[in-house]
Amino acid sequence: MLLTPKIARRLAKTLLPTEVMDWAGSLEISDNGHGFDPFGLHPSFAALGLGLCWKLHHDYFRVLSYGVENIPTESGAIIAANHSGTIPTDAMMLWADVLIQTRRIPRPIADHFVPSLPWLGVLFARSGMVGGSRGNAKALLSVDELLMIFPEGVGGIGKNSKLAYQLQKWHLGHTELAIRHSVPIVPTAIIGPEEQMPQIGQINSIGKLFGLPYMPIPLTPLPLPVRYHIHYGEPIPVHLKYKPEDADNPDVVREAAEDVRRSVELLIKNGLSTRKNIFE
Amino acid sequence: MTKKLKKSELKRVMVTGATTPIGERLCRSLLADDRVGHVLAIGPDSGAEEMPFSHDDRLTYRQFDLSRNRHVRQMLFGIAKDLKIEVIMHISMHRSMTAKGSRVHALNVDSLRSMIDLSGRHPTIKRLVLKSDVAVYQVQRDLPVLITESHPLNMGGGAPQWVRDRVEADVLACTHMGLSPLEITVLRTAEVLAPGTGSQLLDFLASPVCFRPLGYDPMLNLLSLNDAVRALEMACFAKQSTTIVNIPGADTLPLSSCIERWGRVSVPLPGFALAPLYKARQRLRGTEFSYGANRRRFHYASVPDGSRAAEQFGYLPEHPIHWPTPLS
Repeated sequence: MLLTPKIARRLAKTLLPTEVMDWAGSLEISDNGHGFDPFGLHPSFAALGLGLCWKLHHDYFRVLSYGVENIPTESGAIIAANHSGTIPTDAMMLWADVLIQTRRIPRPIADHFVPSLPWLGVLFARSGMVGGSRGNAKALLSVDELLMIFPEGVGGIGKNSKLAYQLQKWHLGHTELAIRHSVPIVPTAIIGPEEQMPQIGQINSIGKLFGLPYMPIPLTPLPLPVRYHIHYGEPIPVHLKYKPEDADNPDVVREAAEDVRRSVELLIKNGLSTRKNIFE
Repeated sequence: MTKKLKKSELKRVMVTGATTPIGERLCRSLLADDRVGHVLAIGPDSGAEEMPFSHDDRLTYRQFDLSRNRHVRQMLFGIAKDLKIEVIMHISMHRSMTAKGSRVHALNVDSLRSMIDLSGRHPTIKRLVLKSDVAVYQVQRDLPVLITESHPLNMGGGAPQWVRDRVEADVLACTHMGLSPLEITVLRTAEVLAPGTGSQLLDFLASPVCFRPLGYDPMLNLLSLNDAVRALEMACFAKQSTTIVNIPGADTLPLSSCIERWGRVSVPLPGFALAPLYKARQRLRGTEFSYGANRRRFHYASVPDGSRAAEQFGYLPEHPIHWPTPLS
């Protein structure tokens, strides 16, 4: 069966409470005449995406968020968060949380393999995800969209439990984009996913067969119902501190990225110190 | 009120491929423009001595076979010189995906090479506008969805001649920018969804049932005939002349919506089954659609970015395609 915008809207209606559907059913996008934006985002599919995340967000992971006032409500910005959990439920919960808190559809920047995944790639694109290329990010920032980037990439989500809450290689692309397009970065820490699905190993050859960067061997078949705590830090005004042309200076970009990394690290540290246990 | 131009200030334009739907519309549009003094229409047909519309003797039609270098020379230093042609609107390219061989290459690429070389020392020709195609761009999962003019070109050796020739012609024009005294404008237009334009998608949509890759539904951008002609005319008069611009259409939609809006039934099938299926269709029914040539854009989104055209020509798509089925 073909999942049309009409069907997506109907499904969203069954999955979301009426008061949420009231606003989720009328989300604004830059429509190119057929209800879609150039990247494939459609408001009905975004509502369906939220519907699919709703139970997970509210009942399963019981997401608590802090510092939502730090997310810009209108202008462009980049949310830079830590990435973990073996499967990308942290990205889904962050996407849903930003949407619920701000009623803006955040645009997650995904690794190249994600858009090529059958069905999932389409559903994610309809909900706002775009492939991780400079051109895509530039186009979105030029129209003041809210980008969601995980600077650790696959290295973060694929790490084993021994490395929990230790930030992996922190890529610089997000900082370069923020400086070049004069937008702030909102450092964000997601506490909880590290413990949801401990990995005991990886079979990379099988992963590659399906176009995935790795195939995890998790200890549990499903993620544990840990509680997610999402901490949005104060925006880092790289757009005020640096000029757009500084994006071409590798030292400046590295220094700014290090600021973001340190902020996320601090948010993780503070978040962990206030958490009672993984389920609360 | 616009100032009436003197006869000597009026543009004299030559249109190659004038008997194609785009060429014919362009000739009509140029003749309706009071900035145009004369239109020289070039086509392969001898029977089209008279273009089927009124023109007050501001139109001359001539038959030339552009795949022959001698004909190109005769055309430029004969009738084009006599009529003091200033601008060449080059839209003549073989439209059939199945056409192959050296004659096709000669029309698609060699004719352009001759035109650029000869126009460089021509007494009256100042500008050449090439109608290229967004099919020259590479489409793959790790490249941006929104295609700017600096996007990588499809240089794959495995691409069909239809694509390779268009890439070669485009690159040929671009490499002469600034080197030739000629002002060269390359318009990379989105696919024109209209009969007689060589549209692959139109041929794909001709079947009552359209098979598409299972699990994928990429975004496409389509151009109407009216917008294609508007863009060409704007390029003819643009102040900024030596440039490359994308010409997007007003319709950006997923492949499934495109099939639905065309009133067809969409049936997703595994990708590996589509190539032999469409090859068999091509052989049995003599159709043009090649799944191999469209495989990537049937998987990954590719939408031309028209910001440069808007900035340099003031072009914005205005005419959406007339879809047979209304938006549900």
